[in-house]
Amino acid sequence: MSTYVYGITAASHPSLPDGMGGVGDPPRPVRILKEGELAAIVSEAPEGLRPKRKDLLAHQNVLSESGAAGCVLPMRFGSVAPDDGTVTGVLAERADHYRERLRTLDGKVEYNVKAIHNEEAVLHRVMAENPEIRALTEANRQAGGGSYEQRLHLGEMVVAAVKAREAEDATDVQHTLEPAAEAVSVGPESSGWLANISFLVERDEAASFLAAVEQVRTGHPHLELRVNGPLPPYSFVEPGPDKPEGTTLGADHAEE
Amino acid sequence: MTVVPAQQSGGGGGSSGLYDVLELVLDRGLVIDAFVRVSLVGIEILKIDIRVVVASVDTYLRFAEACNRLDLEAGPRKAPGLPDLVGEMTESGARGKSKGALSGAAETISGAFKQAREEGQGQGQTESRPRPRKSTASRRKEEEE
Repeated sequence: MSTYVYGITAASHPSLPDGMGGVGDPPRPVRILKEGELAAIVSEAPEGLRPKRKDLLAHQNVLSESGAAGCVLPMRFGSVAPDDGTVTGVLAERADHYRERLRTLDGKVEYNVKAIHNEEAVLHRVMAENPEIRALTEANRQAGGGSYEQRLHLGEMVVAAVKAREAEDATDVQHTLEPAAEAVSVGPESSGWLANISFLVERDEAASFLAAVEQVRTGHPHLELRVNGPLPPYSFVEPGPDKPEGTTLGADHAEE
Repeated sequence: MTVVPAQQSGGGGGSSGLYDVLELVLDRGLVIDAFVRVSLVGIEILKIDIRVVVASVDTYLRFAEACNRLDLEAGPRKAPGLPDLVGEMTESGARGKSKGALSGAAETISGAFKQAREEGQGQGQTESRPRPRKSTASRRKEEEE
């Protein structure tokens, strides 16, 4: 029977979610596999498991629950081992690495921040900053909307200006929040946001991080910010010896 | 703003949060070679339509039209004005109450900036290992279950 793995933590973790409902229908009970100083949070892997909302939620909930009381290295959704022995084998084999990760991430949580523009507000902003666009808009209006070419020309200028703002605002968001975080991981650009950035934050410092978020909101009323956290440190488990591109673990904020 | 405990289902850990953290649950997190991953091919999950602006004739015309409709007097002078509605939408998106917020967020997002995502698929890859599936483009906005 194969084994679904939620995450890896210390065997000394004070409250492991033993018996909690995991993935599958009916939810498979969560079990704990211990190996030396480490423990894996697992359950039976249901046949034909697919990334349905219910199962994604179950994965996330098990990790949130266990992450609330101590550091857990979250697995990516859908990690299945052939059996329990394989899991404990991996724990034994890579014990030093996981212990190091757990130490580094101890007491820290991830906050994911996504930003998009409010279209109307950003258009106002772009117009305010760019007299030429404003003049063209006025001219087109006078002309009852303008010719196809005129509209195309205006639209092209506006799009260029909005894109420039997107890039600028993405940098702004990151730079404003960075000092309040331990580490930053920039998400894939293609996922539909002008900024999709994960921040590793000391659990005890969460309030000041969220205050920094509010500061961004106030300073950028044309931005819609969506903040999710505290989350298990999904974006910060991997670095190990080789940090992936775009991750700056332990960045020196004194320079900010 | 208060700190939402991790286990509280209303905040980051709940279903409204899930909507926003899908790519974290699916694309980040530990991967161990000795384990297999369940197939994500053909995955159909709720996914936000891209709102990052893509340059195209359609976009140009749409923005020209948007400028035309814009109430110029309302905005430029007094710092970029945000309609109250936006504040509410952000609110519900950032920390929506529960399940309802999931679809609510979808509606919030699928607004004006909806743009073809094809051109934006350069995939700023931040991970060192190749992904076991195609890019997010193949994910469609559809809810399972």
